[in-house]
Amino acid sequence: MGLIKKVPVYAERIPGGGIVATQLESLLSHSQACSMWYLLFATACCAIELMCTGASRYDFDRLGMIFRPTPRQADLIIAAGTITKKMAPRLRRLYDQMAEPRYVIAMGGCTVKGGPFYYDSYAVEKGIDHIIPVDVFIPGCPPRPESLLEGCLHLQKKIKSQKLGDWHEK
Amino acid sequence: MAELRTEEFQVNMGPHHPSTHGVCRLVLTMDGEKVVAVEPVIGYLHRAIEKICENRTYPQCSPMMDRFEYVTAMSSDYVYALAVEKLAQLEVPERAEYLRVIMLELNRIASHLIFWGVTAMDIGAYTPFLYGLREREDIIDLFEMTCGQRLTYNYIRIGGVSRDIPKEFEPKCRAFIKKLRGKFSDYEGLLNENPIWLARTKGIGVLTPETAISYGASGPVLRASGIDYDLRRDDPYSIYDKFDFAIPTQKTGDCYDRFIQRLDEMKESLKIIEQALDGLPEGEIKAKVKPKFKPPEGEVYSRIESARGEMGAYVRSDGTTKPVRVKLRGSSYNHLALVPEICTDVLIADLVAIFATLDIIMPEVDR
Amino acid sequence: MTKEELKDKVLNLSQGMLTYSDSGVFDLMFEVKPENLTKAAVLLRDHEELRFDFMNNITGVDTGEHFEVVYSLASLSNKTRLDFKVVLPYEGAKLESLCEVWKAANWHEREIWELYGIDFTGHPNLTRFLLPDDWDQGHPMRKDWDAPDFVRMPEL
Repeated sequence: MGLIKKVPVYAERIPGGGIVATQLESLLSHSQACSMWYLLFATACCAIELMCTGASRYDFDRLGMIFRPTPRQADLIIAAGTITKKMAPRLRRLYDQMAEPRYVIAMGGCTVKGGPFYYDSYAVEKGIDHIIPVDVFIPGCPPRPESLLEGCLHLQKKIKSQKLGDWHEK
Repeated sequence: MAELRTEEFQVNMGPHHPSTHGVCRLVLTMDGEKVVAVEPVIGYLHRAIEKICENRTYPQCSPMMDRFEYVTAMSSDYVYALAVEKLAQLEVPERAEYLRVIMLELNRIASHLIFWGVTAMDIGAYTPFLYGLREREDIIDLFEMTCGQRLTYNYIRIGGVSRDIPKEFEPKCRAFIKKLRGKFSDYEGLLNENPIWLARTKGIGVLTPETAISYGASGPVLRASGIDYDLRRDDPYSIYDKFDFAIPTQKTGDCYDRFIQRLDEMKESLKIIEQALDGLPEGEIKAKVKPKFKPPEGEVYSRIESARGEMGAYVRSDGTTKPVRVKLRGSSYNHLALVPEICTDVLIADLVAIFATLDIIMPEVDR
Repeated sequence: MTKEELKDKVLNLSQGMLTYSDSGVFDLMFEVKPENLTKAAVLLRDHEELRFDFMNNITGVDTGEHFEVVYSLASLSNKTRLDFKVVLPYEGAKLESLCEVWKAANWHEREIWELYGIDFTGHPNLTRFLLPDDWDQGHPMRKDWDAPDFVRMPEL
């Protein structure tokens, strides 16, 4: 038992094949972290960087991340771009429509704290963290695709470290 | 047989919909699969850039312009710089003008590549998206080595450009031109004669020249309807009158023509870049502009031909360090107003094709 | 056609409806009285020597003393351009809509109505446009506009 606690996957060869013993917890979180389907919630400039990340050079798919057009199929919102006061209720609704467990990445300065539109703007929501809970913030205006990939790796780390039923209490 | 009773119903397309290129909501009145009426609802990306500019000094406004139209951020930087230069009657060094033209045209190609890929993706072909963005990355590399940014360049400033190009820019740019020329046959082979593509775009969303003019359509949309009008030739700004390039036009103004139009324009842009690289003079790259820069009192409307059409900036000064009013005119604004006009009695799938080929992006509409 | 020729032509043809204003720095700028707006617009669009068939832009301006509405026009056939503006007082700012003359005016007017509170008579659809549907804080582009959560950039 002690061994399994330390090493999440424990393989043993037996005649005629092998068995893999692991904790249900690490199996679940590992498979969850490696297939994060994200909701294409792209509003402004960061959308183009999100597209670039999904396209040929940066290849998002290798992290198991494929975009979904509908929140019902998505595990993750990448909120890319400015969220205005008019858009904020829609973001909340899309988040509510997602199935648990769900995660949020706030991409770009606007979603962190309003970005360049913090001052003098009557229409911009100053940060999305008071609309929906955010797991990873990625600053930048816009962040490079590498930053986005880094943010996703951080989220993977977070998912892998969570205990069974953690998201249930969220 | 008794006639089937049908009832019209409403469908909301957006504000979060993958094929509306941003956050536009279309309220569709449908009769079965047919769209009876469209009402665009906008403002989901209204960030009050114009209000922000009223409390910034003139040089401080220019980063805002990148966010106004981020797909061709060079154009929006330039249209604002041009307006302020006209206000203050600033002389821009010749080398700066050449650099600007090179960047503007590269940016136009980058934008058209996105258009080409995304339109195809909307209509159902995924490969062009990957091809288009692959070539676009080469342009982004050129921008990045020049100004350090991938998307919001803030390169074209009032009075010139922010920095000179590095030594390796020219060979890399020439190599890119050669590479892209070779790719056009791939691009054309993929879609241009594909029967599914033709069925989805030919004869769909026809825009007559009269409607186009009265709604203020411009750029590739106007030229695809057969009107030979390009600000680079007809109201020359910068040093476009020194270059030799053709202005392609199409005949019918349907989705297919708008699609082909942009492919043709990319080829002409490559010619301009080549000529500009050949003639690039030595010299200064920026006129002297103080941080507390005060243009004289007055008002000006400047306009340029961006990748989507006419982009304009109205700037009004009262002689202080901050503008009284900055108004930005994006061509997508007028193109989106066209949608209710040309999208009646089409199928909902065709609506996506029409929306995509008008190349509407929302920040230009909402600002 | 040079700018001087165009200026003379417009001034002659309009018979006093359009007057020259020297605030335009680069292109020609004219001024129109609110009551002559539609007549002047139709003249600019339809006269065969002017043919301003293309509406570029309409801008609302709050100068701090009064409102101005600036119309930017272009002619595709003659390759010319001009601007004209209408000066309006703060109280009861009202203008005729030009939707019938140029269809492009529709959305521009709607935006000015919302952000400045200038009324356009005869406009087919003056409803909420850029701002949220439940917006109740007035016309934000006015210079004297303020709201509790509106943060001004501090002077450095």
